[in-house]
Amino acid sequence: MIGPSRVAELDMPGAAIEGSSTRPAQSYWNESWERLRANRIGIMAGALIVVFALIAVLAPVFSAVLTHYEPQTIDLSKTFSPPGSGHLLGSDELGRDTLTRLIWGARVTLGVALLTVAVSLTVGTAVGMMAGYYGGWFDDVLMRLVDTVLAIPAIFLFILMSILFKPTPVSLALIIASVGWGQVARLVRGEVLSVKQRDFILATRSIGARHLRLMARHLLPNVLPVLIVAASLGVGQIILIEAALDFLGLGIQPPTASWGNMLTNAESYFFHSVWLVYFPGVMIFVTVLASNVFGNAIRDAFDPRLK
Amino acid sequence: MLAKYVARRFFASIVVVLGVTLITLVLMDRTRGTYVPGIDLNPALRPEDIARLRADLGLDRPFYIWYITWIWGVLHGDFGRSMIDGSTVMSHILDRLPNTLELTGTAILIGVLISIPVGVIGALRHGSKTDHTMTVVSVAGFAVPQFWMGLILILIFSVTLEQHGLPWLPSSGAYSAVNGGDFIDRVEHLILPATVLSFFYTSTWSRFIRSSMLEVLSQDYIRTARAKGMSERRVVYLHGLRNALIPLVTLIGLELPGLVSGGLVVEVVFGWPGIGKLAFERALQYDYTTVMGVTFFATMLVIAGNLLADLLYGVLDPRIRFA
Amino acid sequence: MTQPLLEVQDLHTVFSTKEGWVKAVDGVSFELHPGETLGIVGESGCGKSVTALSIMRLQRPGLIKSGHVMFKGDDLTKATEDEMRDVRGKEIAMIFQDPMTSLNPVFRTGWQVAEPLRLHHGWNAKKSLTSAINMLGRVGIPSATERAEDYPHQFSGGMRQRVMIAMGLTTTPEVLIADEPTTALDVTIQAQILDLLRHVNQEFGTATILITHNLGVVAGMCKRIIVMYAGRIVEAGPTADVFAHPKHPYTWALLRSIPRLDAERHEPLKPIEGLPPNLVDLPGGCAFHPRCAFKIEKCSRDVPALQRVGDTQLSACWVTQAGTELKGA
Repeated sequence: MIGPSRVAELDMPGAAIEGSSTRPAQSYWNESWERLRANRIGIMAGALIVVFALIAVLAPVFSAVLTHYEPQTIDLSKTFSPPGSGHLLGSDELGRDTLTRLIWGARVTLGVALLTVAVSLTVGTAVGMMAGYYGGWFDDVLMRLVDTVLAIPAIFLFILMSILFKPTPVSLALIIASVGWGQVARLVRGEVLSVKQRDFILATRSIGARHLRLMARHLLPNVLPVLIVAASLGVGQIILIEAALDFLGLGIQPPTASWGNMLTNAESYFFHSVWLVYFPGVMIFVTVLASNVFGNAIRDAFDPRLK
Repeated sequence: MLAKYVARRFFASIVVVLGVTLITLVLMDRTRGTYVPGIDLNPALRPEDIARLRADLGLDRPFYIWYITWIWGVLHGDFGRSMIDGSTVMSHILDRLPNTLELTGTAILIGVLISIPVGVIGALRHGSKTDHTMTVVSVAGFAVPQFWMGLILILIFSVTLEQHGLPWLPSSGAYSAVNGGDFIDRVEHLILPATVLSFFYTSTWSRFIRSSMLEVLSQDYIRTARAKGMSERRVVYLHGLRNALIPLVTLIGLELPGLVSGGLVVEVVFGWPGIGKLAFERALQYDYTTVMGVTFFATMLVIAGNLLADLLYGVLDPRIRFA
Repeated sequence: MTQPLLEVQDLHTVFSTKEGWVKAVDGVSFELHPGETLGIVGESGCGKSVTALSIMRLQRPGLIKSGHVMFKGDDLTKATEDEMRDVRGKEIAMIFQDPMTSLNPVFRTGWQVAEPLRLHHGWNAKKSLTSAINMLGRVGIPSATERAEDYPHQFSGGMRQRVMIAMGLTTTPEVLIADEPTTALDVTIQAQILDLLRHVNQEFGTATILITHNLGVVAGMCKRIIVMYAGRIVEAGPTADVFAHPKHPYTWALLRSIPRLDAERHEPLKPIEGLPPNLVDLPGGCAFHPRCAFKIEKCSRDVPALQRVGDTQLSACWVTQAGTELKGA
């Protein structure tokens, strides 16, 4: 709503004049990149996310080198070990190593977030673009569908769907994306409606370009800045939703480690093993913080007027 | 004109409500399989008893028949009875609603009361240390998981304080079961969950007011106001804020459904007997009718919130005309 | 000569930017006499608006670095913020370029026009509104009583500028500063608003500073004009003399770039070559010299001061100060 829907105005007088190219001018991307590079805090946040992503991808290596534990190895002789020798960040009620589980948990959290964003963007872009491009009753039907999806209190939908589909990382991503696509569709449709009216699209239409080609070659590049901004700002929210579902027992199921489900039984550790409450929460917090800060940097870089 | 606008919105809403409830029902129907609500209460049931129960509850019929029956009931103000305990869905909702409204209403009120001055000050002193500090706090507010913040607050203000023999805050429920329920007792129970929830609202809205205010303060009419010789306070709080608050109304209107569902996670963490927790528990037990009732109720709130936001927008911004 | 009502003395206003300090107003001095209409002319970015805003101390985020603004014996640059508030909107009123955005969209027009009366005279809502409606009628708004209930967006551009003027006049100020009051309006409406300003000047005796980039506007309105370039006054004098015999190459070039009905023969219009200067990085010497057709070696070296050239005019130009007439192809 408040979001980057005004991006289109900003572009790129050059694009329409050049005629041959209908993409955002090269200089737009260069300038955005320059602005992003100048934002030191944003770059640091981005770097942090890259580090977390590397840890997630290389989780087996990290846990083998760093902790020498498997995430699901149970050792009932060493339950609730405090942080320090043997277990760097302590162990849980089944004697599993907290650090190892955090490392493997990064896989789940970042993987789910990435997949959710990818699915939301793909479906949302396709729907929004078709609705905006074809218009008429087609648009009406699709947008009523979007209204409906967005009117369901999302958390109820997640609960019901988590019961229906036994949550794995993939199905969890699909569940969260089942709401996320609606917002993207609305955003993209608005963009398409404004881009569609511009001369070069009319010109391309008049020479008889095929619909699909027109959408892919001419509309999509113009919608791209909005999508980039929406994606980078969405990651943090998705991580929070995913963590909350895991915490409620509706998301990733034990024994698979996720930062959210490591906190499910947190209340029972309050009296003796507080580290089990701290570490997963801090990880979620830091990751979401970094993605929000990076997302803001992206937005400021790609759409300076929204700052 | 206005009546026509509201009427059109109303009819568009009917489509949405039907869509939402149908999706909910189909999901529940697919989810349930052959499960019969309440079966775990009595393991001695024989198959014929189960069949009779299913027939009683209408579960032997296809979901669309069930749905039509349900809609027919709703149109007559009858939301049916819970499949778990047999009391009416309406009585469940009415039982939990005051608690939810107490929690979310308090949180929204605190959010508004804090975020407006914080946002305005941030805009007036933008770039200052105060502004940066408030920015950092609110960016953190976006990023902290509500449930975890709840856990940490319980850890500090209930567990640790109690361990040290200090006065501590209750961590669960809306009032004490024993000798509780008076005003002080309720407020004590309210403090922690309301803090978590309002922290979230404050973070969101203060950023919003800040940027809205910054934009308004750069407008020509603010220069005009200054040229008329007004005090800076009048410029900011009358001519500026009056404009900057218009978009906030939309935001709060969109938050109205949060009155029911926004606090769900917080309600679960703090054992707060509200509607969100009701829906959560009953969904896990496949209590069709209760979940349908709450979903219907929450959806109506979404629609009402959107409509209210639009109407208020029209009241606050004379440029808006309903057509 | 009467005592000047407003006297700007060596005013310097600067803005801080990433590239450094920008001297938006760089040593401007002039006088405004009671009842007079003074024109300030120049391209956008020449500092004419900032000069006006500095008089009102509304130049934020700019900073008045030095200079004085003497108004009825007081130096406004030294006045407290409270004292300034008593001047703004009461003794000096200002109207702005874009009437579309200069009125607050969420308040009723009458209420806004009446606001200065409530602020400065402490009148109640009813009394101030009656007076505001009266004023709206006098600036030519038909059925003012009903229109006072309308919001700004319900008025046309020209009508909104009338509202702005009414708002400025409610407290019968002694000075009215009109910053490009017609620029955003259609040509026919422009003429109406200028008529109104002329009428206001005669009827109320309000001294007016008319800021514009349009020489045609000042020609019909102002006895005296000031031409600004890059934050400085480059020429000043009686309008008729300046138009007939410009003493600064910039004025000369400006006059050649506009069509004139009184031209002796049909000469082609000549745009001024080059671009307005970059205020962050002004050329050395006379700021106009890179675009000047008459420049001599000294122009790129030393900044010329504003000095009397001829009987009635002031000019900051080495060439005309040396006695050369500006003539050319």
